[in-house]
Parts: sequence; C-alpha cells; structure tokens
Amino acid sequence: MPPESTELGRFHRLFQRWARQIRLRLAARSLLTGLALGFALAGVAAAALWWQRLGSLRPAAAALGAVGVLIALIVATRRRLSDSDVALYLDARLESKEAISTALELGSSEDAGAVVLGDAVSALDQGDPKRARPRVLQTLHALAPVGVAAVVYLSLIPLPPGPAVPPAAPGSSRVQLANLQGLEKIERLENLDARDAEQRERLKQIAEEAKRLREELAKGMEKREAQAKIAKLRDDVAAERLKLGDQKNRAGLEAAVGKLAENKSTRDAAKALGDGDLVEFDKKMQELANKAEKADRDAAKQALDEAQKAAREKGAKELAQALEEQKKLFEKREAKAEALRELARGMKGKLSEEALKDLEEFGQSGSPEAQKRLAESLEKALQGMTEEERKRLAERLQKQLEQQPGGANPMTKEQIDDMAKRLGTPEGQKALEEQLKDLAKPDASKEGEREKGLGDAERGGAEAERGLGGMAPVPIEGGGPSDGSPKGPGDKGGKGDPGSKADGSGGPGSKKDFGTGDHKGNTAKLDTKGLRSKANGKMNAGAPMQGSTMGRAPSRPGETANQAGTGALGQAGPSELGGVEGSEVPEEYREQVGRYFQP
Amino acid sequence: MTQSNFEARLAQARESSTRLRDAIATVIVGQNAVVDQVLWALIAGGHVLLEGAPGLGKTLLVRTLASSLELKFSRIQFTPDLMPSDVTGTNVLVMDATGGATGRFELHRGPIFGQVILADEINRATPKTQSSLLEAMQEHAVTIAGVRHVLDQPFFVLATENPIEMEGTYPLPEAQLDRFLLKVMVPNPSEDEMTAILARTTGHAVEAPKSVLHRDDVLALRALCRDIAVAEPVLRYAARLIAASAPDSSTAPELVRRGLRYGAGVRGGQSLVLASKSLALLEGRAQVAFTDIQRVALPVLRHRMIRSFEGEADGVTTDQVIEELCRVVPTRSGAVEQVLQGSR
Repeated sequence: MPPESTELGRFHRLFQRWARQIRLRLAARSLLTGLALGFALAGVAAAALWWQRLGSLRPAAAALGAVGVLIALIVATRRRLSDSDVALYLDARLESKEAISTALELGSSEDAGAVVLGDAVSALDQGDPKRARPRVLQTLHALAPVGVAAVVYLSLIPLPPGPAVPPAAPGSSRVQLANLQGLEKIERLENLDARDAEQRERLKQIAEEAKRLREELAKGMEKREAQAKIAKLRDDVAAERLKLGDQKNRAGLEAAVGKLAENKSTRDAAKALGDGDLVEFDKKMQELANKAEKADRDAAKQALDEAQKAAREKGAKELAQALEEQKKLFEKREAKAEALRELARGMKGKLSEEALKDLEEFGQSGSPEAQKRLAESLEKALQGMTEEERKRLAERLQKQLEQQPGGANPMTKEQIDDMAKRLGTPEGQKALEEQLKDLAKPDASKEGEREKGLGDAERGGAEAERGLGGMAPVPIEGGGPSDGSPKGPGDKGGKGDPGSKADGSGGPGSKKDFGTGDHKGNTAKLDTKGLRSKANGKMNAGAPMQGSTMGRAPSRPGETANQAGTGALGQAGPSELGGVEGSEVPEEYREQVGRYFQP
Repeated sequence: MTQSNFEARLAQARESSTRLRDAIATVIVGQNAVVDQVLWALIAGGHVLLEGAPGLGKTLLVRTLASSLELKFSRIQFTPDLMPSDVTGTNVLVMDATGGATGRFELHRGPIFGQVILADEINRATPKTQSSLLEAMQEHAVTIAGVRHVLDQPFFVLATENPIEMEGTYPLPEAQLDRFLLKVMVPNPSEDEMTAILARTTGHAVEAPKSVLHRDDVLALRALCRDIAVAEPVLRYAARLIAASAPDSSTAPELVRRGLRYGAGVRGGQSLVLASKSLALLEGRAQVAFTDIQRVALPVLRHRMIRSFEGEADGVTTDQVIEELCRVVPTRSGAVEQVLQGSR
C-alpha cells in the first residue's frame, strides 16, 4: 500500500472505502435475495404440503428461508466483485470515463497515469455515495414477507378435504359374516342319502365347500368372490337334482306321465311327476297308499307299475328306478296304513269322536297329517284302557285275524298277532305305543327325500345370496310354478284360479269374482311355519334399485329354455317340450326353429 | 515527465485542436462531425477516405486543412488514364543547355511527395494506379526505380469518393481500404448550414486561413496521442467488438451472421484504439473510455467489413451492423453489468 500522503495512496484509500461499501451492500442484497427466494420457495412448499394434507410439515417449510440465506451467502462469497470490477462499476456510476479503472491499472508509473490518477481521485472524492452505491433493496425482496405470510397462513388454515374416494367396483367391497343364513342347508347335504357312492362323494364336497365358505366369510372376503362361490355351490347342487326332463329321460317321463294320467286316482301324481316335483309326487303316492279302498290302491299300484314299465321301455333308466322304488314303498305304506286301520277297528268302542273323524278322513284322503292324528288318537285311547279292556282288545284282534285269513299283509298279520299276545303285559302295552308312534310317521321315498334335501340346499344357496345383498330368486318350495294342486291339509286341490272357492264360484279377487261379494276379504289362514313377508318390511335390503336385474338362474352350457330346469327362470314343463311342432311356426321354418331349440 | 508536464501537453493539445477547428471553420460551414473525424485521423497518424456527393466541400476541407497546418499540400485528380508514375514521380533524363542528353537521370517527384495529399475521386483511377498509394500510406515511403524515398512527416492522405456516377469507376480493393484509418461520410448540409454556405460563397472570394499549426505541432500531437492510456477492460471491449464482427464467431449477433461475409480484422482493432485515443486527447482526457470506442466505431469499421450476398440483398448496411454490435456486445463483465442493472 503506497503512503497516504501521495496521490496514489489517497486514491487507494478512497477506492478501498468505496469498494468496501459496495461489496457490503452487494452482499446484503444477495442475502436478502436469497432470503426472499427461500421464503418464496417456502411458501410454495407450504402450499404443496397443505395441498397434500401433510399438515404437520407445513411450518418446517420456513426452513427453506434459512437455506436460501445460506445459498446466497455462498454465492455472494464466490461472486465477490474484484477490484477491477468495482472500479468499472464506479466508473459507470460516477461517469468518470474509465478514469478509476485506468488509474487502478496504471498507478502513477505511466505518463498519462498521473493525470488519470488525478481524475480518478477527483471522481472518487466528489462522488455522491448515495447516488453511486448499489441499492440493497429490490422489488424481488418483497417476496420475503409474502413468503413468510404465506407459510404462516398456510400453517394455520385447516387442511383441504381429502379427494373423493372413487366408488368401489360392484361387489369389490369386503364382507365379514359370522353366520350366513342358508349355508347350513347346503352343509346338511353330507348327511343326505345319496343315490350312489359317487354322488355321496360329490355331496360331501359341496358340503365341505359350504363350510369352507362359511369360515372364509367369518374372516372376511370380497363380496363378489363370496357371491361367485355361492353361485357355484348352487350350480353344483342343481346339477345333483334328478333331471327327469332332460334328453335322456324325456321320452320315458312323457310315457310314464301318460300312463299315470290314464288312471283318475293317479292324475295328480302324474301332474307332480310331469312337473319334475318328486317330493309332491311322493306325497301323492303316500296319500294313495293310505286310502281305505283297496280298489283305489290296486289301481294306483297298477298305474305305477305300468308307468315304471313304460319308462324303462323308453330308456329312462333313472326314472324307472325311481318308480320302482316308489312301487316298493307304496306296498310298505299300504301295509302300514292297513295295520293302523286294523288297530282302530279293534279299539272301535274306545275311540273318541275326534279319533273316529280322523279314521274316516284317513280312509278317504289318506293324507299323512290324518295318519299322524289317527295314530296319536289311538295312542291316547290305548292309555285310557283298563287291563281287562286291553285283554279283550287282544282277543278281538286275534279273532279279526282269524276271520281275515290272507286278507292283510303277512307282515301286518304277524305284527298284530305279536302285539295281541303281548298286549296283556305292561311291556307289550309300551311296545304297542312305540309302534303306534312309528305308524304315525309317513314313509318318504329316498328319491323324494334326496330331492327335498337338494331343494332345501338350493333354497339355502338363494338365501345366502340374499344375505350377501344379491337379489337371487328363491326357488318356491316344491319346485315349479304354482299349479293349484293341494299343498296341505284341507286343500281341496284341483285346477283353477288361486283363491277360487271349492264350489268353483271364485273367491274375492279371483277371475270369477264379478264384484258382487262383500269385498271384506277372507283370505284363508296360511299353513306355514313363519311369515315370509311382512307389511312395511324393507324390500331387498342392500339390493340395487329396481331397474337392474340381479337375479340369476342356474344354467349350464348347452341348456336352453325347452329343458326342464330347476331355477325360477329357464323352466319348461313337459307340455312345453316339443312345443315348436304344435306352434304356429310356418312349416318351412319349423325344422330350423326346432333345431335351434333342440338341447 | 511530471504530471504538470503531461497536463500541460494535454492542455496545449486541446488549445491546438481548438485553433485548428476555428481556422477550418472560417472556410468550412458546418460539417463539425466531419472536421472532428478528420482531426482524429490527423492526430492518430492515419488516413481518411471521404465519401460524399459532389459539391459538399470535401476538397475544400482538405485544402483548408492543408493551409491551416502549414504543410506541403498536393492534389492528385484520379482519372482512368492516370499512371502510377504520375502519382509517385519518375526519373527523367537530364538535358544540357544545348538540348543534348547528359546521360544523367534526375528524379522528378510526383505529388505523393507532399504532406497533405488530396487523392480526389480515387475510385476513378485504375487499381494499378490506386495501388501506387499503398506503400506511401502504409510505410510513408516511395520506391522509384529501386530507390526508396522516405516521405516527409507528417504524411496525411485524404481521399475522396463519389458514391454516385459509379459508371467507369474502380472500387477500391479491400487491402487498400484497410489502409484508411477512417471512412468519413460527408452528409448534406442542413438548411442553416446551406444558408451560411450560400452567403459565404457567393460574395468575394474567401481567403485561405492562415496556418495555425506547424509540422512540429502535429508531430507532438501524434506523439501525445500514443501516450494516452487505455485500461485493459477497454481494450478487451474493443477486442470483443472486433471478434463479434466475424460472422462465424460464437458471439456474433444475428445481423452479423446474416449480413456480413467478412468482419473487421486486427488492423480494424488497432485503428479503433488509435482513433479512440485521438478522440480522448481532443477531449482533454488522458485515458480512453468505453464511449470513445463506441463513438469512433462507425468511421473506423464501416469500410473494413464485407457484406454477404444476403446482406446486400436485404439492404443491410455496415453502419447498421456496427450499431448492432455496439448495442449487443457488453462493455463490462457480466457481474458488473448485473450489479449496474440492479442499481438503476
């Protein structure tokens, strides 16, 4: 550094003072710029965090302001103006025509240097620092308070609501049910008396599948997956039901139904068989077997025998087997009913009025309900007899047996003989009571029981589907649409409109109701275990609104509407089979249309 | 040399230039910019090419300058049949009194042996004749018949060109153009100037001005011009300007890339600095400023650039290119420019 007294020394002193001021102000400007940019960035970051609903991180965004200052400090240090740059800046601001830059470079060594030095000193000395020094505050710096305010504001305001969750795909919601009603009916299939070992295995598998589904539902699973599994179970159950109307059995079925329909007493049974309702068919046959008139029973047996033969001739092996079984069961039922009647006749003097009515009804309708009531009345009457009377009953039974040699079933004869011998003892009386209880129970056919079990299972599947919110049609008990056939005691049966009176005049609301009645309403009491619907009840809770169809019917590839099905849809009765031939389809198209509906 | 001495020289230079301007102004009306530029060249030791329409006082200006300087003035009227020897001179056979040959040759000096040379309508002579000026302008010497003759100092060539009547002319080759320090465009006078010219030239003949500067004064001015200081940033700026004038340069602006085929060379940069020094001197400063470079850029560079075909077709002039260069090329470093921008 040259001495202060010289011009050069003076120049350097003045220059360094200016340079220090300029550098300080430039550093301050850089720091403020860094702070402003940092806080602006912090504001943006806080906004982003607010938008992303990361509430707790919002105040931390302010740290970006400090980062900005730090970066600015580094930048300011690295980009510190050199003396030459400061001189150029001063030349420009003080309008000294580059005298300062030249003086800094030349000093006083050159000829012109001394003059330039003088000019430079003069410029530095007379220069107005307020006008020449760089501005510290810039418009950009306004971002700093704006950024701080933004961070504070965004840290205080509540977070925005989360984005609307898109609706889940239909059925993708999870469902967790500890006990889904209906599945237990499918689980019971493992106890069902199977047609053969293979079917037993299949039924066992279905039951296990149902159990597994119950466990999965207890843990929780996707609703649509559960629905698919239930649908598969229903398909599997439906596949196990006897297909009397399929291609293999159709001809045999029609032949068997034809034979049964020829006999007046077996027409109802023929209708039930034609509808593929083996349970109803079995019930009709039970009634026939219980009838008092032997001629009726023989006619029924005859018709059954012919039907079985006709089915076998037409190649309906399964149907023939079912009819054969029914035939054997018919004889067994007949013997049982005869035994009951014999016993009642023996106790005739001791029977109550009600028991006599039951006996009469049992003989006429042969309904299992009447059979049950009669057996119960007999048991009651037996309990009210004295020892003497019981002995006389035994003697009377013995006499009746002697008077009717070979008139009754040998088994029944032996049973009654045995019973008459033992009736004198308390053990014998006890045994008779037990036998009466046994007689009260109607014998169901295996096929009928199987069909009933499978029907129950199918209804259980539908119930389970409904339990999951689906709107599956529940198969009507007994299968098939209502045909007006008697369904319970007191039901007179016969075709006609539902609600029609026994005399055929038609009840209120029937087709034969011409509005001349009192319109008070006189609906018969429903013979059912529980209510199936109730007023003001929610219809299809959890199911979609009307307008979309969620119902489904079991079907398999290749099946068409002219095949007797088991579900609510796609059913076709035997009379509808081959309907194309009897339709008004023009002759030239008939073959083509028929081929289309051919299974 | 002390500070006071240099300051005194500077003051004397300013005083001399003022006197010279005043002397010229007694004859020449207006044209101050032209007069100034001629003085820059005179002080910097360069030559001037004056371009302007006939009757604008070009020749008069040169004659007046020569008169004011008390220097030997020569005028060469360039015509197509002018021979180089008509410019430089030649050896002639010396005759005795009887008219017989003495067998001795004597140098007959041409007009180039003056100090202030007016090469009037230089573009009307053939290139061969034009080139006879080359050695004299560059080296201040003439070689005749193998003998080199150094010309008297100061040697100052002022050539004139007429931009109209271009038929039968020979445009100056680039090499020769480069020898001129400045190309000065002589503009038409303003209304006031024209009025004054008419008043002054239609009366009695105006006397030529008396000489105000002598040979030594001019040489002293030229020496002082060389002493003017130039800071490194200013030199760098001049260098940046020259570099940016090259169309293939990365710093060249779009107008240069499109409008020029060749930019200015090293001699252009030297001329830029010299002319700036001269300008600083005339303004009484001991150092060159950025603005000096910008002010002398047009006359110094306009004849050193060759336009491209596209530039000519688009009507791009070298003056436009130079103005664009001065606008685009930064004077100071980026950091300083940034600080300055933030402080305005």
